[in-house]
Amino acid sequence: MNIGKILRERNIIVVTLVCCVIFFLISPRFLSVDNMSAISRQIVPIGLIALGQFFVIVSGNIDLSMGMASVFFAVLLGVFFGLTGGVGIGLLAVVVASLTMGGLIGVLVAKLKLPAFIVTLSALFMAQGLSGLVIPRGQQIFLMGGFFQFAGSQKIFGIYLSFLFLIGLCAAAYVVYNHTRIGAAIIAIGNSEENAKLAGINVDRVKIGIFMFSGLCSGFAGIMLSTRMGFVQPGLDGNGLLLDAIAAIIIGGTLIQGGRGTIGGALWGIAFIGIVNNALNLLNVEDVWHQVFKGVVILAALGVNWLLWQSKQSEAH
Amino acid sequence: MTLKSTTALGLVLGAAMGSGALAQDDALDIVFINDGHVAPYHVAWLSGFEDAIAAYDEAFPDIAITGRWLSAEGSLEKMIQQTEVTINEGPDVMFVNAINVDAFEPLVAQAQAAGITWIAVHSPMDSADYSFTLGDIANGRNQGLAMCALSGGEPFEVAIMLGQAGNPSGEARHAGILEGISACENVNVVAEQPADWDTVKAQTLAENWLTQFPDLDAISGVTDGYMYPSIAIAANSGNTDIQFYGYDGDIPIMQQMEGGQVMADILLSGTREGWNFVQMAYRIHQGEELDKVYDFFTPLVLTEANHAKALENGFPADVTVYYVDQALDVAANGYLEFGPDSVQ
Amino acid sequence: MTSTVTVNPTAAKAAISGLTLRYLVLAGLIVLASVGFSLANENFYSLVNIGILLRSIAVLFLVSMGMTFVMLTGGIDLSVGSNVAFAGGVGVITLTTTGSAPLGFLTAILAGMAIGTINGIFIGRLKLSAFMVTLATFALARGLALVIYDATSINVSDPTFLWLGGTSWGNIPVVIPFVFCVFVALSVLLYRTPFGRNVYAAGANFNTAFVLGRRPERSVVWIYALSGALAGLSAIVTVGRVSSGQPWSGLYLEFDAITAVILGGTSLFGGRGRLLGTILGVLLYGIIINGLVLTGTNPYLQSLIKGMILLGVVLLDSWTQRGKAA
Repeated sequence: MNIGKILRERNIIVVTLVCCVIFFLISPRFLSVDNMSAISRQIVPIGLIALGQFFVIVSGNIDLSMGMASVFFAVLLGVFFGLTGGVGIGLLAVVVASLTMGGLIGVLVAKLKLPAFIVTLSALFMAQGLSGLVIPRGQQIFLMGGFFQFAGSQKIFGIYLSFLFLIGLCAAAYVVYNHTRIGAAIIAIGNSEENAKLAGINVDRVKIGIFMFSGLCSGFAGIMLSTRMGFVQPGLDGNGLLLDAIAAIIIGGTLIQGGRGTIGGALWGIAFIGIVNNALNLLNVEDVWHQVFKGVVILAALGVNWLLWQSKQSEAH
Repeated sequence: MTLKSTTALGLVLGAAMGSGALAQDDALDIVFINDGHVAPYHVAWLSGFEDAIAAYDEAFPDIAITGRWLSAEGSLEKMIQQTEVTINEGPDVMFVNAINVDAFEPLVAQAQAAGITWIAVHSPMDSADYSFTLGDIANGRNQGLAMCALSGGEPFEVAIMLGQAGNPSGEARHAGILEGISACENVNVVAEQPADWDTVKAQTLAENWLTQFPDLDAISGVTDGYMYPSIAIAANSGNTDIQFYGYDGDIPIMQQMEGGQVMADILLSGTREGWNFVQMAYRIHQGEELDKVYDFFTPLVLTEANHAKALENGFPADVTVYYVDQALDVAANGYLEFGPDSVQ
Repeated sequence: MTSTVTVNPTAAKAAISGLTLRYLVLAGLIVLASVGFSLANENFYSLVNIGILLRSIAVLFLVSMGMTFVMLTGGIDLSVGSNVAFAGGVGVITLTTTGSAPLGFLTAILAGMAIGTINGIFIGRLKLSAFMVTLATFALARGLALVIYDATSINVSDPTFLWLGGTSWGNIPVVIPFVFCVFVALSVLLYRTPFGRNVYAAGANFNTAFVLGRRPERSVVWIYALSGALAGLSAIVTVGRVSSGQPWSGLYLEFDAITAVILGGTSLFGGRGRLLGTILGVLLYGIIINGLVLTGTNPYLQSLIKGMILLGVVLLDSWTQRGKAA
């Protein structure tokens, strides 16, 4: 394996590691165990959204609702917690509601052939609206008690449980994506829906499944958001989470037209976003530059992905 | 239009002459245009406003008191539009929490020409009939002074969470805090960053600060909205030493003062402010002469023990301090100081 | 939304051309919506109010017309709202440093075009997803706006600069005839020039257009530049409207524009739609969202309603199209 090939195929790893070294040189505290573990916890909601989004994007669609939906599910959990004083019913409600929402989006996209972009955009607005309407008088709800403490800050072997949950889900997704017919079907749909249909894939069912999974991931992200926050309120910046998650996937090298991309790449993309967010704060970079930086990084990643794809095409010929 | 404004003017004049008796069909219509509706503070504000409208309407049956509350959701364009349409509808009193004061100068003139009393909220305006202000600098200073007095004289590291860059209220509070802190040598600001009134951002900031500055002694914020996630993060990481200095008088935050890590807060309280608007409008309607700049009374909140300790450490004795129980009472019942009872 | 549903089945049976029918339905809905709000608000029909309403949707008109061009090619432009803030920032900074309003106008429009051109090059030349590219410039342009404003607003008092957005002739804001002129100019561009044919061709089928010797990728660059330029123009109107430059202006404007354009009958897959539809879409959507704002509707309820309108419109579109196919 020559260096050129590594740079080409593992560029995100190289970039992430180089960034780590630079941040370390500027602020040695960056690589401290405490800071790393803080990052590992911060990226969980973004990571969950990115994971769900990954399958949607690979299949050639987009789910804009995930950020606001996770805020809504966090609020929903809080409302049930406020009503019942426990988490059991709330967790069940979040799982059911998130699967239902994803399923509905999937049906609208797959069966009625509505554009995913618009369907999920309207879901975004509805989730935003509902998050403010389901909570009594729009107040904040504090989430006290064993479950939130446990899921939010419990560590196993020094690693946050919530982070392990993300990694576990990624591992499961990896197996499904790389070693099952479902994974192959998702890639086939992303490459060409017609061909996938000809190959005997039940395109509609796979699509609905993908959106149910992205819905579920929003639900999980909402739960993780609430356990990390220790309280919920409407009006949280869900779209910021979504933007970060999409950026992570693009940076991770997922070709946006669909049909390509690896879970490993997406994970590195998530790590990169988490590290950069953390470092920008740690280095006291003025807030106004954060947005500029993200925009430039996404554009650059799009450009690099394109160049790599071009060179691969010419290599293939 | 003209007819309506003359009537309104007539009503105001009538009230001014003390002839409240003729008021069978006397009406007081209050509109409050706010900059947003996302923070818990906004919500408390609205509920106080609505409760007060209902209570005043009931307490004074000879005046039909009505109120409406509009939110511009952070958009200046939306706010200007809401204001223009409201002027067109001709209420008696308008409270406007202007996102940008200068953009509203022409509208103030327009409203006054239509016989509407304009009350500028938070950011004072010379042209407005009245300004409802919070004393952000003084409040910030009190928070800073409290920090000095409770820091114990040892070197003390504090990190400050700011509002959205450029927001006048947030910047005034920030300036005040720095002024208060400058009263002592030992308190050292190790970091300041805007969290844009966003609790998720605040949480990430708190998390990063706690790892970046292992010796951090306190987190100060220009809103209690930042305190919720910061307290949660500190609790999650088992940090029981760090102190919190809040601003807003949110009830759940003040509840964590007695025996907790929240050392000081500034008692605004949304509920209370909403009540205050209505009593102010009512008093104007009754022809009372108010100060042109109505400075909302916003005391510092400390526990009794901490107040005693602070006084020993040179905290100025002339700063009014509410103790937690009293502050909680006032915050929960916005009318306690100003309700219909106190007006009658 | 109930009214749309009831109007439509009768309409689907009639064999009028789809778009004309849609415009009639839209016009009907505009009347319905205004009647509804005038019942809720006695002042709704006053001339003053109509002026206020039209002025408040002037920017949405401009941006939506640009979005129509983009969506006719099957693309999307998420950057316009941020671009309004960015272009306004560049214009206002130029004005305050040079004191020249014309120079301020020029730089505002050029700045808007610059962002648009970046979009166009990535989308047209590199054939990247319009959604992703403009999502990146959505973040980038907002960030740049925050940087150049240093996150604070800048007051503007230059009467020339404020004229377009701030002045009224009686109850008619000058920006309304201006929007109409832009509409006429863009209509000529779209329906009477080779460029306009390229817009439809690029949307109908990129490859066929290419085979026919057209250069859709070059047109695509210009189409996004046009959308950017209209954002620049909107920036000037916005600054005039609020007599200051605001780093957060135009927030989520793109979503309103997309909804209005879809409402106006432009297909999301490109190739079908007209500017007139967009005008009607903006009017209807503008009446609804402004009506909600002005009646003090809970903002969360407003979001819910926005989402339901958007979903309702695409559902309706798919339904009518299926009806046609059957």
